[in-house]
Amino acid sequence: MAVDQDWSNVYPTAAAFNPSSVPLPIRMGYPVKRGVPPPKEGNLELIKIPNFLHLTPPAIKKHCTALKDFCTEWPTVLDSDEKCEQHFPIEIETVDYVSAGLSVRNPKARVVTLRVKLSKLNLDDHAKKKLIKLVGERYCKDTDMLTITTDRCPLRRQNYDYGMYLLTVLYHESWKTEMWENEKTEADMEEYIWENSPSQKNALDTLLRIRAAEKTTEVTREELLASGIVENYKTSVVALKNEGETENNVLQYKESVMKLLNLQALQ
Amino acid sequence: MHWNSSCCLFIPIMQPLQTTRSTLPSVPASLEQERNSSNQYMSHCSAPALCMGFKGPGTFPVNYSSRDMPKQYRFLLNKDLLWVQFSGLHTDLHRHKDNSLVSISDEPDTLYRKLSVLVKGHDKTVLDSYEYFAVLAAKELGISIEKVHEPPRKIERFTLLKSIHIFKKHRVQYEMRTHYRCLELKHLTGSTADVYLEYIQRNLPEGVAMEIKKTKLEKLPEHIQKPVWDKLLSVEETASTS
Repeated sequence: MAVDQDWSNVYPTAAAFNPSSVPLPIRMGYPVKRGVPPPKEGNLELIKIPNFLHLTPPAIKKHCTALKDFCTEWPTVLDSDEKCEQHFPIEIETVDYVSAGLSVRNPKARVVTLRVKLSKLNLDDHAKKKLIKLVGERYCKDTDMLTITTDRCPLRRQNYDYGMYLLTVLYHESWKTEMWENEKTEADMEEYIWENSPSQKNALDTLLRIRAAEKTTEVTREELLASGIVENYKTSVVALKNEGETENNVLQYKESVMKLLNLQALQ
Repeated sequence: MHWNSSCCLFIPIMQPLQTTRSTLPSVPASLEQERNSSNQYMSHCSAPALCMGFKGPGTFPVNYSSRDMPKQYRFLLNKDLLWVQFSGLHTDLHRHKDNSLVSISDEPDTLYRKLSVLVKGHDKTVLDSYEYFAVLAAKELGISIEKVHEPPRKIERFTLLKSIHIFKKHRVQYEMRTHYRCLELKHLTGSTADVYLEYIQRNLPEGVAMEIKKTKLEKLPEHIQKPVWDKLLSVEETASTS
């Protein structure tokens, strides 16, 4: 081979190893006793393996310069994930499979996964709770992500359409209020609501009885509810029930109870 | 393969900016099996597209067109973006004018937030070489690579009888080793992804399989913007009164 010849002309595409075209002193194979691996002339081991002689770095660069015209640039606005989410809330995940075999097709290729954050959808409080109940396990509370995986149709396009249809139906159904939703009990509630709860009744009854025992001016329930001490107590109870028992919450609860019952701090 | 929505993302004023350009030479729909010279890549690549910049901080134009198979070449004009288009496009146009195989369509390009290429093979050295090739190709085409890692290999072993008849105590064991390599790319447009994937897949060595996971970004469709019940109620009322 001439020294100034272009290597991409010798191996323009994938081809088997040809010992006379490749000027490298390669040896491959198991050596005989007290010998060296066999040389490249007539060496089947070198012919068997896949070689990358057609993909040397200069050849790759040449290919890429030719291909660069067909590529587009990513819009510079969408440089972070948050901006992508803000403008494009829905993510569609599809998988393609490439392998050699009797058939080009792979039945797993028809699965489509749709992911969307509920905060991006136009939902009010009731609609959001109803959607979460409808969807069940497909909603992740930590990431606020709804994941719909469809694979019941034979084609990927059909699965995608079905996924979008499901999303549309869920969205519109969650805005509807049915008759039987009025029968929602306290066990169904997702979070703790203080109004009309036993805690409120107990607190107000206690305060009223304290006032009656001290024979001070009569205060009505509404005035008690509006007072700052009861508000404080309410926020601390709601925080305890909804967020769980953390140090801050428990301390806050202790202070609010002391203020409510007019106790002095025990030294 | 694509399912780009044919509707544009803006409602622009459709005025052809230039005369229609010559279209791509007709390409056979099925991929050819034999590998020809490198000119193959040019003739089989999809037509290019244009990705326009954006004007203000708040608005996002998304007025980009996709590169598709031969279509008439027309620009979508949006009055706000006129100046951006001219300033940004002039250089792009010049580059594409020389390449007669490139043609631009007005379909919006798809956006892929992440493209995950997993290659599986029995030979680790082959996967090493392939990874070098894929990474270099991505760098040359200007694709940002997020992560290249090697998931642990899996070995499938099974035990068979050595003899065709009796000799239960003498068995032979076989194993199949599968090595993996994962290349994660981010922020690709549909055209770039198609070009890169076709290049990669054509040069996939023998005995190596590939799985590609694409994460596509989409806007919320119009029918999910607002609940439909208000409109339906008003329609019913007008229907009943009229």
